[in-house]
Amino acid sequence: MVSSKTAMGYQSSRTKETASDHSLMPPCQAACPLHMEIREYIDLIAQGKVMEALHVIRDGNPFPSICAYVCTHPCEENCRRVQVDNPLAIRALKRFAVEFGGDRMIDLEAETKYDDKVAIVGSGPAGLGCAYYLRKLGYPVTIFEAYLELGGMLRVGIPKYRLPRQVLDNEIQRLVQIGVEIRTNTRVVSLDLLSDMEYKAVFLTIGAHQSLRLGIDGEDSPGVIDGATLLREVNLGLKPALGSRIAVVGGGNVAIDAARTAVRLGTTKVTILYRRSREEMPADPEEVEQSLQENIDIRYLVSPTSISRTDGHLQVSCVKMELGEPDASGRRRPIPIEGSEFTEEFDSLITAIGQSPQVPDTFKLRIGRGSTIQVDPITLTTTRVGVFAGGDAVTGPATVTEALATGRKAAFRIHDYLQHKYPVDEKNDKAILSGELLSKTTETIKTQNRQEPKVVGPKARTKDFRPIEKVYNWGIAVAEARRCLRCGMGAEILFQDKCASCLTCLRVCPYGVPYLDETGTVQIPADQCQACGICVIECPAEAIVLRKPYDRSHINEALDHALKSASETKSSPLIIGFCCQYGLYGTGLLSGFWRQAKAGVQIVPVLCVAKVEAHHMLHALEMGAQGVFVAGCGEMCAREKTSFWVEQQIEKVKKVLVQLKLGEDRLQFFDPSTMEEEPVAALDMFTEHIGGLYLESLLKQEVKS
Amino acid sequence: MIVVEQKPVDEIQRIIAPYEKVLILGCGTCVTVCNAGGEREVSFLNDALLLAEAESKSISHAFSQHTLKRQCDEEFLDLIANQIEGIDTVLSLACGIGVQCLAERFQDTVILPGVNTSFMGMAKQWGVWDERCTACGDCRLEETAGICPITRCTKGILNGPCAGTKNGKCEVHPEMDCGWILIYQRLERLGQLDKMRRYYPPRNFRPIPRPRRIVASPSFAAAGGSHG
Repeated sequence: MVSSKTAMGYQSSRTKETASDHSLMPPCQAACPLHMEIREYIDLIAQGKVMEALHVIRDGNPFPSICAYVCTHPCEENCRRVQVDNPLAIRALKRFAVEFGGDRMIDLEAETKYDDKVAIVGSGPAGLGCAYYLRKLGYPVTIFEAYLELGGMLRVGIPKYRLPRQVLDNEIQRLVQIGVEIRTNTRVVSLDLLSDMEYKAVFLTIGAHQSLRLGIDGEDSPGVIDGATLLREVNLGLKPALGSRIAVVGGGNVAIDAARTAVRLGTTKVTILYRRSREEMPADPEEVEQSLQENIDIRYLVSPTSISRTDGHLQVSCVKMELGEPDASGRRRPIPIEGSEFTEEFDSLITAIGQSPQVPDTFKLRIGRGSTIQVDPITLTTTRVGVFAGGDAVTGPATVTEALATGRKAAFRIHDYLQHKYPVDEKNDKAILSGELLSKTTETIKTQNRQEPKVVGPKARTKDFRPIEKVYNWGIAVAEARRCLRCGMGAEILFQDKCASCLTCLRVCPYGVPYLDETGTVQIPADQCQACGICVIECPAEAIVLRKPYDRSHINEALDHALKSASETKSSPLIIGFCCQYGLYGTGLLSGFWRQAKAGVQIVPVLCVAKVEAHHMLHALEMGAQGVFVAGCGEMCAREKTSFWVEQQIEKVKKVLVQLKLGEDRLQFFDPSTMEEEPVAALDMFTEHIGGLYLESLLKQEVKS
Repeated sequence: MIVVEQKPVDEIQRIIAPYEKVLILGCGTCVTVCNAGGEREVSFLNDALLLAEAESKSISHAFSQHTLKRQCDEEFLDLIANQIEGIDTVLSLACGIGVQCLAERFQDTVILPGVNTSFMGMAKQWGVWDERCTACGDCRLEETAGICPITRCTKGILNGPCAGTKNGKCEVHPEMDCGWILIYQRLERLGQLDKMRRYYPPRNFRPIPRPRRIVASPSFAAAGGSHG
């Protein structure tokens, strides 16, 4: 699994025909620090194959359930569906997959292939990720953790309502199962000591736990506490007394976490003071929205200037700000407005304006900007031989997924180092799909709004630290997954020499994507194609294929399988039904065809009926089927005009059946969205009719002989 | 482009009946464009014939399939010379030109037509083709605003419209536009209505010798071999 050569070198591909896979990397995958195969697992969820989806997820992420709860999902920010309506809820879908996918496919095998011991200092996501991959590569690995329990910021930083500790414990347990040695309550004070203990390489991932100071008078008064400390105390089971009115200074995720934690501790009035406006706020917008629902007051363009403590209360002087020119971070710089000072009383004040690493001098490392450890960006090596570093300790506070990605990268660079290999940064072997959707494309795509997972109401959720987000049910998850535009999987003219420039593709595309360029060559731009497959089926020269030509062989294989199992059961008359796999669970429309089909009906699952060719229907009849039907989702299809085009294929076959006097009524199309009868009743009628035809033909044969 | 239509499968069944090994041969140009004889149609016909065999429960043919870039040049046909050796007949899905070119190239092989060559025309939309030219060898389109009266008038008259036109439609096919009304409207649009006032004498088809041959220059005339 670890040594496979695919996307970014870490994941094994799920598709069978990797050689003919010309697909481009979709923007979601390109944006993901772990470069997860998002498009693939979303498609599997859309088919109702949750176990397989989880398998793909696990292939790219050793701790998927952690990410399923806390990932900041840069994939969603880059989802091109936003140009149509709103982005896919990728994180929520991953959560659905980890909850429903089961753990049968987890690979807990790891054998020790090397003698070189590796020490990992710190057990945050970067350390855990690195430990996982090094262990899988075959190294003896030890994790050193200063606190009593593993997890780093996952344990002491992220509140429990965002990441239930059971989830974290389960994932960590798997590390123990693959043989990672764990040493908790062990603070590493000297790296020399580690080399004395015969560790051949060290990965430092000590996080950024030191809160930045406001730098104002009275900051050290009792009642002023920093966000990281507050979260750590609460997460480790303490219940600090904050009083009834508190202020939180800052606008990042830690500020929001601290404020929401304070609410859950029983604080009646929580006020966030942020010196810029909501637009510049680095916190996740969804969390900002949720904290507003929890009655947290956010005051923008306000900054504290001094704190004084009288009678057990804090008098916080503030100044109002206005926004000036953009600064180095690209955000507009806040400038104090003269004469706008005011004072407000709070019981305590939480500072959450950023954190930095705290690297012991005894480590003897070069420290860079913001107290971070300086490393080579490609090899992750520090100024000491054999010592690598990553995570927040190098980057400053970042995301869990970024840390996991660094951990994975570190494992492979340490592997290079220990095996005396030249360290090569992973290269992307797929081109990344770029480009916006044209308005004429987005106009033809059906809008279908994003379904947010349900969240516990503000009143109920602020009573305790229980997780607040519910998981999707099957119907909603499948419907949400079907919204995926399958970027980068679209059609391409693979055989330009075969292309007769007949312009069929231009004429059949429901999205108007193919065009003639100025040289008179037909082009199918990958960034516009919706991968519906209609032009592939209609191209008279068979010059067009989908960039991931999986569906065609899939139908052939499934058809062969159905014919084989039919011949084993000797069922007659035999009816073959090509049913859309997406419609199976998504709309529930086709479920009856599957579950209540009578004996003798063999279902061939297809990924949209638009991919069923005349060839498949003729082949089924040739191989002994007395009846063939095609059942699609009709109006419910995520793509346009798929029913119309499969009906063209059916008409074509029917014409031949008439010419051969084989009876056109042996072939039928079911579109449950426009059918008058219940789908199951219609199928029963068809089955009965075919049965009648079959008996008739038997009688005729008897008479003949 | 040359527009053809695939023959009904039952007719094809009849004409291939005497032969065992049948090569279904597609053509990658005109007949691909008009959806009758390209690679997809070759395999569709193959599937349909296999189905017919399976249903009749008598396997009497062995089919193979191939599609050439073009069948109307012998050089392309050379590419299948080896394949021809082992087969009894070629069922060509090319136009009549392709069929005859095959017959000339492979003197000892039976060549069968799988399509009816219909006309010269163009695609009007997906799945609809219209005739536009009869290859009369004497083009007068400059007189008739780029609309051919010989092809588009059902009667092919040169001085129209006839008395049968009604609301701009033809009396022979009431749903079809009258070619001469189209010519009138377009001449009016171009400000050339005076062309309607001229008289065009009846055409004399007799001087056109068939089959016709075009020679690039006189010196090549001898090199072309026997005419016809």
